[in-house]
Amino acid sequence: MTEEDVAQLANMAGLDLDPAHLPGVMRNLEILEGQTALLFQEPLDPLVEPAPVYRP
Amino acid sequence: MIAEPPAIEKTLIDLASIIETARAVREGRQSALALIEARLARIEALDPSLNCFTEVLADRARREAAAVDAMVRAGRDPGPLAGVPFGVKDNYDVAGRVTTAGSIVNRVLAPATVDAVLLQRLSKAGAVLVGTQNMDEFAYGFTTENAHYGATRNPLDTGRSAGGSSGGSAAAVAAALCDFALGTDTNGSIRVPSSFCGIFGLKPTFGRLPRTGTFPFVHDLDHLGPFARSAADLALVYDTIQGHDAGDLACAERTKCPTVPALAKRFAGRVGILGGWFDDLADDQGRAAVALAGDALGASGTVILPGAARARAAAFLLTSSSGGNLHREALRTRAADFDPATRDRLLAGLLLRADPVLQAQRYRTQFREEALAAFRDYDLLIAPATPCSAPLLGQPTIHVAGKDIPTRANIGLLTQPLSFIGLPIVAAPIPGGPMPIAVQLIAPPWREDVALAAAATLEGAGIARGPEALPC
Repeated sequence: MTEEDVAQLANMAGLDLDPAHLPGVMRNLEILEGQTALLFQEPLDPLVEPAPVYRP
Repeated sequence: MIAEPPAIEKTLIDLASIIETARAVREGRQSALALIEARLARIEALDPSLNCFTEVLADRARREAAAVDAMVRAGRDPGPLAGVPFGVKDNYDVAGRVTTAGSIVNRVLAPATVDAVLLQRLSKAGAVLVGTQNMDEFAYGFTTENAHYGATRNPLDTGRSAGGSSGGSAAAVAAALCDFALGTDTNGSIRVPSSFCGIFGLKPTFGRLPRTGTFPFVHDLDHLGPFARSAADLALVYDTIQGHDAGDLACAERTKCPTVPALAKRFAGRVGILGGWFDDLADDQGRAAVALAGDALGASGTVILPGAARARAAAFLLTSSSGGNLHREALRTRAADFDPATRDRLLAGLLLRADPVLQAQRYRTQFREEALAAFRDYDLLIAPATPCSAPLLGQPTIHVAGKDIPTRANIGLLTQPLSFIGLPIVAAPIPGGPMPIAVQLIAPPWREDVALAAAATLEGAGIARGPEALPC
């Protein structure tokens, strides 16, 4: 992911990223991408439901 | 004029159990006010070097202690925690002050108008709040190295981390600046500092204790819980704060389950050792601690949770994303006010796409079933709490499974997969190296009594031990 990619992503999220924060954000996005890859290593059964708490 | 009752010997009261202290106060053998003065003097002497407290509430503590003494003199019962000094992590509301959650970002918030619900319950039981305690900013960290409020130092070795994010609370209990404390645990923030400071900590089942009046981090992972210097003290405090409150949507409507009676008998349940991820990422001291605890509790097998690595990844992603979402407005308008270590992770979380977040939520259901299957064969599982004992403050990496990996992001490797599915866990400190390390005693959902009974049995056998002598 390039600095331009991150800036574009931030723009879409409504964030005006300080350029000084960009290297740290990119480093952490790379870590998150690594964790995402690990999570998707095996597919989930479509019948597995999410688990957040909701009480109507 | 009513004569003050004679104070019991200071060294005795410093290391006395909460039960003994409260009994002495209730029976008029110990003045609650004198006890608080002793604690405040100790805080004044030691906290400048330890940095456990963000604010010492001396006036409030003296007022509450005097009220306890007045009740005793009037022949009324001040409660099971009469006069016992305690502290709270600075993400619990205390009436009249701003809940900083370890950040200057929160300084713009209005002061709390009432205490957090758990504080109210403790005050009603006679306990006396002495102050609010240091933490990682917004509870996002494992070392309590806070850019705004400084680092909390480990009382067992002031060059080392107290752990986090509830590091101020754990260090204060270990140094006897207070007799117990309340912290929060989203990914390990009670169990990690318990391990590093050598005290007992309880992360109850998700949904057991109401979080009403605390500042959130990750709504569907946040737990509250106590720290203490013994298993019996931990159980007493936990029993005092149990109970549903409608102010927390995730708080389960369950009846209270007293745990103190379970501590009277030796634990005799079926015990398994968590292998795989939990063994691979432990160091020799952690493995030895687990082996000692397992032998003492009669462990009969090893349990592998194949999904542990993915569970940790899922917890990591949910934390980053939920934290980013929670602080979206401040990140958009005041990013420079955040601790840099917190800011960049939250900003990255805010940019994470929805797909992995939804997958993490679904994976939570699958991993829960995997863990619950293990409890068909075992009543209790054991794992190390941390991949190492307390690192040095500022230490950039820790050595785990043959690799040097960043310290701050990875201290929770062994706690995160378990809090992800909300299991009740006691961290029990096991001496065995220059610094202690804790084991996690992991019970099925809603069975805090099982984990606490196992902790008490380990303590009774001399395997688990809180601080024996006053550090510093």
